[in-house]
Amino acid sequence: MADRALTNLGPVTETPSSSETLLKVKDLRLYFRTTKGVVQAVDNVSFSLGRRRSLAILGESGCGKTSLARAILRLLPRNVHTFSGEIVLDGVDLMKMNDEWFRREIRWRKISFVPQAAMNALNPVLRVGYQIAEPLIVHLGVSREEAYKRAEEVARVVGLPVDFLNRYAFELSGGMRQRAIIAMALITNPPLIILDEPTSALDVLTQANIMNSLKDIKRKFDVTYILITHDIATSSELADEVLVMYAGHVVEHSPAERFYKTPMHPYAQKLMASVPTLREDKQLEFIPGQPPSLINPPKGCRFAPRCPKRFERCAEEPPLFALDGGGVAKCWLMAR
Amino acid sequence: MLENGVLLSVKDLHTWYELRKFGFIRAGYVRALDGVSFDLRYGEALTIVGESGSGKTTLLKTILGLVPPTKGTLEFAGRRVDAKNLDWLRRQVGYVQQDPYGALPPFMNVRRILLEPMIINKVGRPEEREARIREVLEEVRLVPVEDFLPKFPHMLSGGQQQRLVIARALVLRPKLIVADEPVSMLDASVRVEILDLLRRVQRAHNLGVIYITHDLSTVRYFSERVFIMYAAKVVEKADVREIVRNPLHPYARALLAAIPDPDYENALRFKDVPPGEPPSLVNPPPGCRFHPRCTQMIPGVCDREVPPEFEPAPGHFVSCWLYK
Repeated sequence: MADRALTNLGPVTETPSSSETLLKVKDLRLYFRTTKGVVQAVDNVSFSLGRRRSLAILGESGCGKTSLARAILRLLPRNVHTFSGEIVLDGVDLMKMNDEWFRREIRWRKISFVPQAAMNALNPVLRVGYQIAEPLIVHLGVSREEAYKRAEEVARVVGLPVDFLNRYAFELSGGMRQRAIIAMALITNPPLIILDEPTSALDVLTQANIMNSLKDIKRKFDVTYILITHDIATSSELADEVLVMYAGHVVEHSPAERFYKTPMHPYAQKLMASVPTLREDKQLEFIPGQPPSLINPPKGCRFAPRCPKRFERCAEEPPLFALDGGGVAKCWLMAR
Repeated sequence: MLENGVLLSVKDLHTWYELRKFGFIRAGYVRALDGVSFDLRYGEALTIVGESGSGKTTLLKTILGLVPPTKGTLEFAGRRVDAKNLDWLRRQVGYVQQDPYGALPPFMNVRRILLEPMIINKVGRPEEREARIREVLEEVRLVPVEDFLPKFPHMLSGGQQQRLVIARALVLRPKLIVADEPVSMLDASVRVEILDLLRRVQRAHNLGVIYITHDLSTVRYFSERVFIMYAAKVVEKADVREIVRNPLHPYARALLAAIPDPDYENALRFKDVPPGEPPSLVNPPPGCRFHPRCTQMIPGVCDREVPPEFEPAPGHFVSCWLYK
């Protein structure tokens, strides 16, 4: 097992066909129990993602995008009310695994996770190099020496100077700490990496640098990214596909080529219209009102109360309609 | 007072934080602000753009009198600001913080939060205060006012909290508003709303506004004049359209090039980003502070002498030897 993980690192020469599915999520529900009622954080989410593609999950705070990532990774709090559906990774249904098996076989080996603000969560009393190597030692049983050697390799890949591995977290700048975290996610060579707002706390130039590294890694290695962010402009740096969430639902899932030019769902359109752009002059819009509460969300389309294009049918919940040129949108306007 | 006179005049402002070893031995200074000068007129909006650690927040804090300047002077409405008239200064400057939730006391309701500045500054009689609270709430569109008065900060959405912070900044009828990244914690769809509100308030009351941000793409929706800061100095001053069209300082160029517009093609190419990171402000590099990262560095000049301000085009100032 250890050997395979190490030899897999080499650059991938043949490109697998894009039709090969790595991750398939079907009817995923994650509800939380609170004192006020049941919060439907992720409601009936389905999508699939091809190998070596990268998916950007966009949405405002509270739309369920982080809950979705945590559901895929089964990093759940105690107050889970419902957790159901299908998550198939590489042909294996993860929902059928018990927790211990999932922890051993999936986390780090198959999926690694870069949580939000992870760079501030590095252990202050351990050297950065050890922390990067640790998943290999713990999860794959690799010897310390070998793990350190591999840590140097991944540090080079993410652009972290090798001598920084002997330093402590407080001796590194924010950008370098974020690189260390990404190195840690890469070290076990998992096919899927979930990045939750990987650059949101960083400066513009550092952000551009990290995005460059992530693109570089994607070109050289066999990785699939799920990038969770609310920053639409930055998401376009990495995305092949875009999934927009609103109030716990997927409202649009489109190829990036089309999405950034012509989003289809009214919410996605409004969201794009509110993004300030540097180079072109445009009249910015904002979306009046607020997302609905996820405790007893309204029946029908959840965006309808704020939607400029609503009509009678919106009182009924729309299914996901297939769009011309690929992708789906959850809106009655797409019905034919 | 002249309506188009100078409201705030900052001259050669330096703010250095002292570093200490073992708590008492002087171990040098962090030069958080190193020689910044500008004038702000009544009713003018100014944006300061810079990365974290470039000194933009220190500039704000110095203007608010929260940290004393090490060197240089500050004049507000024609009066020199010093330790003695800080109360007078702060009555006329409203502060909009970055994180609205952190800036609002969780145990006070909306009414109390807006009342507090008037109590502290002994402004108005009780019924006048009550009327003023209603007035500002209507102005920031927290309506119907009656519904919002008894609410606590946690009962408001992020956008509403930021509106409340703006209302609090306005309640004493200030002449100047300083806003430190007022929208960086908010969702994209709300950002525009808040910037719009700030802009409207600024025009309605002829307020001076200093808007601090690291996000250049929001600037053009807010003000005309932009300063770009790097490592405690202002490196470029110009009109926002001019800067976007024709950035002169190599740092400004890099910064603009690094900002993506939503476009699928971004994913297909790498960005040209200068290597390295901003310098330490304890021992800043000699000469131009950007020279270690600059691709157009002139050896013997940029690494020796601090560039003065040049004006290659009218109204466009840049501190870079390339424009000598």
